[in-house]
This record gives sequence, structure tokens and C-alpha cells, in this order.
Amino acid sequence: MISRIADIQIFDQLRTQATGIEATLATLQGEVSSGKRFQTADADPLAAGEVLRTTTTLGALAQYTSSVQFGLSVLGAEDSALGDAAQIMTRAQEIATEQANGTVTASDRAAAAEEVHGLLQALTSIGNTELSGRRLFGNLALDAPPPFTSPDASGYDPTAAYTGPTQEFSIKVGSSASERVRISTSGGTVFGGSLKALSDLETALRNNDIAGVAGTIAALQQGQQDISAERASVGARENQLQTLQSQQASLTLNAQTTLSTLQDADLASVLSQLTQGQVALQAVLQAGAMIAQTTLAGLIKL
Amino acid sequence: MAIDLTLNIAARALTVDQAALGVIGNNIANVNTPGYTRQVPVLSAASEQGGGTFHLDGGVLLQSVQQILDPFVAQRLLAATTDAAQKNAVATQLTALVSQLDDLGDSSLTTLLGNFFAAASAVANQPQDTAARQGLLGAASALANELNRRSALVAQLQQHVDDQIVGDATQANDDLAQIAQLNADIARETAQGGQANGLRDQRRQVLADLAQKIGITTQEDPTTGEVTVASTAGPVLVAGGTVVNGIATQADPSNPNTLGGNTLHQVLLQTPSGALVDVPAVFASGEIGGLLEVRDNNLLTASQNLDALASALATAVNAVQTQAGAVDLNGNPTTGVPLFSGTTASTLAVAITDPSKIAAALSNQPGDNQNALALADLATTAQPTLGNRTFSGYAASETARLGEDARQAQGLATASQGVLQQVQNQRDALSGVNLNEELTSLLSFQHAFQASAQVISVVNSTLDELMQIVS
Repeated sequence: MISRIADIQIFDQLRTQATGIEATLATLQGEVSSGKRFQTADADPLAAGEVLRTTTTLGALAQYTSSVQFGLSVLGAEDSALGDAAQIMTRAQEIATEQANGTVTASDRAAAAEEVHGLLQALTSIGNTELSGRRLFGNLALDAPPPFTSPDASGYDPTAAYTGPTQEFSIKVGSSASERVRISTSGGTVFGGSLKALSDLETALRNNDIAGVAGTIAALQQGQQDISAERASVGARENQLQTLQSQQASLTLNAQTTLSTLQDADLASVLSQLTQGQVALQAVLQAGAMIAQTTLAGLIKL
Repeated sequence: MAIDLTLNIAARALTVDQAALGVIGNNIANVNTPGYTRQVPVLSAASEQGGGTFHLDGGVLLQSVQQILDPFVAQRLLAATTDAAQKNAVATQLTALVSQLDDLGDSSLTTLLGNFFAAASAVANQPQDTAARQGLLGAASALANELNRRSALVAQLQQHVDDQIVGDATQANDDLAQIAQLNADIARETAQGGQANGLRDQRRQVLADLAQKIGITTQEDPTTGEVTVASTAGPVLVAGGTVVNGIATQADPSNPNTLGGNTLHQVLLQTPSGALVDVPAVFASGEIGGLLEVRDNNLLTASQNLDALASALATAVNAVQTQAGAVDLNGNPTTGVPLFSGTTASTLAVAITDPSKIAAALSNQPGDNQNALALADLATTAQPTLGNRTFSGYAASETARLGEDARQAQGLATASQGVLQQVQNQRDALSGVNLNEELTSLLSFQHAFQASAQVISVVNSTLDELMQIVS
């Protein structure tokens, strides 16, 4: 129970109350101007830790998303190149079937040999495709020499045409070390059989060797199958990455929502608290002014 | 005869009223003086005067001017002051640490760790691209610089706290000397019959200042008015007019808690012979106690945790960079080419300047990115030396821990400040000046003065009447 109060107490109390309200107002103003519920970790330590963890998650998701986009661009380019390669093999099979017929003349075969040589060059060129300076079928090596030897080179051996890397190139698409997707296609494996078959076809045509021409058909078919099988695999991996992309988009949205819940200021509530605080401060100051008047000093006529 | 006596009584009353008005005036003058103890004039009726047929009481006497205070509350005030100062020192320093580390800002460790591993992932996607490699070196450098900055900041804060400890100890020692001097002055004035109220107020202020620095208890000698000041841990600091144990500081190069190139100090008791004695319990409370706690515990732990992160990071990253089979862009093995040098937060640095030295491959085949992938995987690898948390997870937990420590300290400081405020209120309620009360007393003594003057006037006119009869 307070039975007596000293003037210093009254003014101390006014001072304490006014500075307390002013400190609260400053905090609220900080929330309004930054839009954040807190600026330092001591204001809400648990939420601060969560904010940092969620920000890390968002950063990681952005990183995976960027890798997935890169993977999709590479696989898309491979898909289209493999499509072109398959067409080459289809044409080669047509030529082989036509030229295996005994009614075709030697000069027709010589002309067909030229076309097949062109196909061999085109397939080699596909094998040497670059995407932003990187060899699409040579482990994505940057600024690297063509992985396939030109069929015009002396002593061309289609079985040894591929001189590029045999390493596989994978991208990281998730947090664990096992969450990787291969985006490279080894040119040697995919095009090796086709190059050999085309080269054999060209030789048989030049030699006007009907049986030899007929004998390459099976190998040409096998070569096309190799290419188609790889193209199917590329398509499957594109699908996988697209699924991941949409998963990552929704995970990112979730993380952003969590972050917003954790740290965003509730502006409506903050502004009303700000008004409340201003009213309280006004009241305290007014009370102080009134207390200052309640003194005998003004009433005493000495 | 009786008329003379009446005149004397009235004249004495005028003097007493004047003196009382002086006391009230002093109270009013000190209405806002912190620590001022209000005084009241203690009046008593004087004994009988005169003789013969007439016996009159002897009017009024000003016996003493008494300070209104409760010694028990004064003791509690000292204890509450010590506690509040200790809690406040801890809260202030921990809040400063949290705000200067700025963990929710752009340069948070989690952001920079994220940037580093994102850059590693970019190298994994573009293993032969110099720009991506340069980006990784840049991110590594930013991370190392931030760890350096944090380590330096914690060390600076420790030095700052130590400086404050030395300042506080010097101030406390000055307080002891002042108290001894005031004791001597009070004893002298008391011996001469005075009350030394002003000196006592001064001494109470100095005691309050000392109580902020260290925990003390006081005992007043009722005869001499001197106080004996002892540490709450036991040792007597001031007895009468003598400082029994002074407070001194001494550089302590062997302090195992030293961070950076700091020079930390020990706070010691100094005996009259000048010998320095280490009595840690004396300095375990008050502002000095709080600052010592922050300096030797909180800041040390913060620094050690930064070192743990830096060391784990350097070890893990270098293990990938220098593992068997790892090669740089030119196909050279990187076994002896670590990415980071240094094993503490203050010494961590990027050891390579040539981006081609980053080992992105585990073979000499062009485009190999296996090692860069392994580096990027470290982002989510649990580190045994960090309590099986990831680097970012550890940094986030550390932020939360420091924030929690600061928040807890702030809570304790607020609570102890509340207790101090309550005791201060108790003291002020009793000992503080209330202007209306003083003005009422002022009126009362003014009226008494006017009445006594009136008595003199009446006696005067009575004597005049008598004189006229006689003449």
C-alpha cells in the first residue's frame, strides 16, 4: 500500500512510462517500415532460426531449379539431334533396300555411295553438335575438339571414330547425393553402330557388292534402334526433370509462405497498435501536465 | 518577569520557525535530487523557565534535523542495485552481440553458405567455365571474410568488455576511497554534535555507485556514524576512515579465454601492503560480475562456435578438393592444393587465386563434373564435428541460440530492474520530497512565525501600557 508519494517518484514514473511507450512505438515503426515482424534474432529466437533454415531451403531449391532448367535445355537439344540422326538412319535403310536390288546399275550404286557418304558426314556432324560451346554428345565438354573423327580423314575407321570422353555428366537435382540425373549421352555408344553400318554400306556400294549392301540392312536397323532407344531414355529423363520442376515450384511456394508467416509483420495489427501507443503516450503526457498543476504552490498567497 | 519570559519564548519560537523554514526550503530545493533524503525539524517543548510564583514552560526547541529513512530498505536498495546492474550488463552486451552479428541481414552466414554451395553447383553444371569457377572463389572469399569479420567482432567486443571491467574496477576503487573520506568527515562532524546529513546523502550516493559495480553490505556505527563496507562475499573493504582492501586490475596474459590479440585483466583485491589477492567471489556480482561472465563465457562460446564452423567447413571442403583422383581444369592432381587455408574463423582464407585450380573433376576427361557435384553435396551433408548438423543448420541454430541467450538476459534484466524500481519506490515513498507536504509545513511554520511575532507585538503593547502607567 502506498501511503505517501514523493514528487520524484511521480516524475520518475511518468518518465519510465513515456520512454517505455516510445520504445514500443519505435519497434512498431520499425515493423511498419521494414514489413518484418523482427529485425534481430533476440526478438524471436526460434522464429529467427526457422527463418534462416527456410531461407537456406529456398536457396537450395533455387539452385536445384536452375540445374533442372539447364538439364532440360541439354536434353531438349539431344532429343532434337537424335531425331535428326534417326531420320538419317531411315534414309540409309531406304538406300540399302533399293540398292540391294539386282536391277540397280553400278553407276546408280556409285551415286548412292555418294549420298551415303553425305549421310555419314551428317551423322558425324550431329555427333559433334555444340550447345553453347559444349559438345552435346561428348560429355558436354566446353570448347573441346570434335569428339567424332571426320569420315573424310585418311584411314577413317568408324569403330574408332569417337575420341571424346566416356564419362557421364549428371546434374544435382535434390539435397541428397543420390538425387542426380544424367543429362549426357555418350556419342560413341549411341552412334558407333550406325557409323559403322553407314561406312560399310558406303564401301559395299562403291564396290558394287550387292550381297554386301544387303548385309548392312540389319546393322543399319540396329543402329537406328540404338538411337531410338537413347532418344526414349532422353525423353524419359526430360519428363523426370519436368516433374521435378513442378515439385520444386510448389516446394518453393510452400517455403515462401512459411517464411512470410514467420517474419512478415501483420500490418493491420501493427498500425492499430501504433495508434494505440500514440494515444497512450498522449495520455501519459497529459496526465503529467495535470499532475504538475496539482500543487499547492499556485494556490498559496504568501 | 513573566513578560520577559514570554518575550524570550516568542523570540526563540521565531528562531526555531525560521530554522524549520530553512529545512523545508532545503527539502524543496532538493525535490529532484536523486538519492536526497528528506529532513524534518524535530521540535520539542523546552523545560520550565522562571521562578517564584510564576512557572511557565520554556517554549520550543529545535532538537535536531532528522533524515527520514529506513536502513533496511537502504540495504535492500543496495542489493537490488547490484543485481540489476549485473543483469543489465549481461543483457546489454548480448544484445549488442546479436545486433552486430546481424544474422537476419544480407550478410548472414546461412546466406553466404548458401551462396557458396550454389556457386559449387554452378561449377558442377559448367565445370569448364572459368566464370563459374571464379564465382565459386568469390563466394568462398565472401564466406571466409564474413567468418573473419565475425571472429574479429566478437574479439573486439571482448576487448571492449574488458576495458569496461577495468574502468568499473577503477571507479569502484575511487568509491572506496571516497567512502573512507566521507566516513572520516561524518565522524568528525558527529563528534562535534552535528548530524552530517548532507555528507550522509553523499555517502549513500557513493555506496549506490559502488553497489552497481560489486555486491556490498554496510553496517553503520551508531556512535560515530561511520559505515563498514564489506563485499557480499566476505572481505571488508572499508572500515571507518580506512580502505582495508582496495580494488585493482592487472593484465592477465595467461587468461585461457583470450580472443584475438586481446589483453584481458584480472580484478583483484589490494591489501594495504599493496599485495594483490585473487578473490573471485568478490567480483562475481554487480556490473563487474556480469561483464566478467560475458567476457569469459558468452563471447568465448560464440567465438568457439564460429571456429568450429570454420574448421568443419575448411576440413570438409578441402577433403573434397584434395581427394585422391581429383584434378583441376588442366588435369593436374589437386592433392596438395586445398581451397581453404586456416582452421579458425579468424584465419580462414581462400588459398587459391587461380580458378582453374578448383578440382571439379575426378578424371582427366573433358567436362567431368563429379568432384564439383561432391562439393555441392556438402551443403546437405551432416557434419559430425557440428553435432551432425549441416553447415547452414548449425549457423541457424547458433543464431537462434545467441538470440535466445540475449532474450533471456533481457528478461532477467527487466525483472531485476522491476525489483530495483520497487525498492526505489519504497525508499522514495519514505525518504523522497513531496512538494505539497512541504508547502503545507511551510504554511504551518509561516503561521507559527506570524503568531510568535504577534506574541511579541502583544507583549510590546502590554509593556507600553505599563510604561505609560509608570510615567
